[in-house]
Amino acid sequence: MAEEAERNRILTYLEHRFGISRELFDDYLLLSRKDSWYMMRKSCGEIQLSHLKPSKVGLKAFHKVGNFIKPTTRMIQIYGPAATRAKLEIDESQLSALLSGGDIPFETDIEKGYVILTLKGNRVMGLGLLINGRVRSQLPRKEVREAMLDPEAIR
Amino acid sequence: MTLFEHYSEIIPDFSHFQEFLQKPFPSHIRINSLKTEPDETAGFIRSRGDNLERSLKGNNTLYSMKGLTSPGNLIEYFLGYIHPQALTSCLASIALSPEKGSFVLDMCAAPGGKTSHLAQLMNNTGLIIANELYHNRHIPMGHTLARLGIMNTVLTAYQAQEFPLRQKFDYVLADVPCSGEGRFRRINEGSSYREPYERERLTTLQKKIILRGFDLLKGDGRMVYATCTYSPEENEAVVNYLLQNRDAVLLPLKTGFDHDPGLISWRDDRYEKQLENCARFYPHRIDSVGFFMASIGRRS
Repeated sequence: MAEEAERNRILTYLEHRFGISRELFDDYLLLSRKDSWYMMRKSCGEIQLSHLKPSKVGLKAFHKVGNFIKPTTRMIQIYGPAATRAKLEIDESQLSALLSGGDIPFETDIEKGYVILTLKGNRVMGLGLLINGRVRSQLPRKEVREAMLDPEAIR
Repeated sequence: MTLFEHYSEIIPDFSHFQEFLQKPFPSHIRINSLKTEPDETAGFIRSRGDNLERSLKGNNTLYSMKGLTSPGNLIEYFLGYIHPQALTSCLASIALSPEKGSFVLDMCAAPGGKTSHLAQLMNNTGLIIANELYHNRHIPMGHTLARLGIMNTVLTAYQAQEFPLRQKFDYVLADVPCSGEGRFRRINEGSSYREPYERERLTTLQKKIILRGFDLLKGDGRMVYATCTYSPEENEAVVNYLLQNRDAVLLPLKTGFDHDPGLISWRDDRYEKQLENCARFYPHRIDSVGFFMASIGRRS
């Protein structure tokens, strides 16, 4: 289990950076393991599991990158729609540019750091990294593919 | 020899069944209501010109998608809004229909489609133990569960037939290793069905798993036993073995799809009358993988 101070630090970051309310996490446990944190429904913790040897618990939600705590793509896809700040809507051509490894210019007054990338409204793709007015993809390259932007490639 | 000819007396409309084996599997998808609003996502997919049809009246999460060959290339796949899954595979979770907040064991959980569907039906509440013996299957299963936003699941790696007995469950899904006959379609000249090596060893394992699954149930708990094979030795004979060795009772199955009843005899074997409560799903009736299910409770 993550210590209270650690939990507080992570939820404060989410609230300050993205405007994601900490109350959304009231029903969840935050479990720490090595440099990662896993989220699990609290109701799960009420069941006695000490006799089992789990290989994986819940959803990997955060991990440490240097001194920063980075939300995972899957975590931000779930909670990103509730964000009120540091959110950038991109179109398909911008997504295509990000996927090919480049960065894209973005005129914004958002402070540097992680930003939530949305496509067509509130469809949260994952995170980008905003530095000096340019956004770099933090999307998992193996999972998100160019083919996703080509309607013919899916048939 | 005609394929599966030894089942010609038990599979209804056998010539139609044979014709169906020549057809490729249709693509079915399940929309993941944990991450998206199903009608909205269905609308998005349709707006691109894709042919999406509801598989079950009144259910806005199960669809067939004609002409789709690479569902992994859909952006909705990356977003975790959809999961490609055989229709009959979805029916196992629907047949179990665990209540929200309940404690569930999926005894043979890889690749995770049914586990994630159970989590969806439970709205990510309660707890699912997704057990899979082989550690190398935990990585792709973990990716699937993460992509679909599952947060009520713990993965374990016990032999299903030896899963620890200390904690009892509200629901158990025993989707056991089987010969996989129902997965076969002769889609090209080269494809041919191979008899499983040591079917007897398989049925012995299935019998051990069904007994352990039943022993892991709470008093009012319910279990679904499922296979993707037509073989009565792996289906009715295994369930009948449970009835002979435990105070188990077979419950009627409700999935919303027509099915054929379980057999009460096969060759020289006779099974209990209540085996008719089991469900046999054939490809020519449901256009999916051949499947067998039994819903099991404790005799009161």
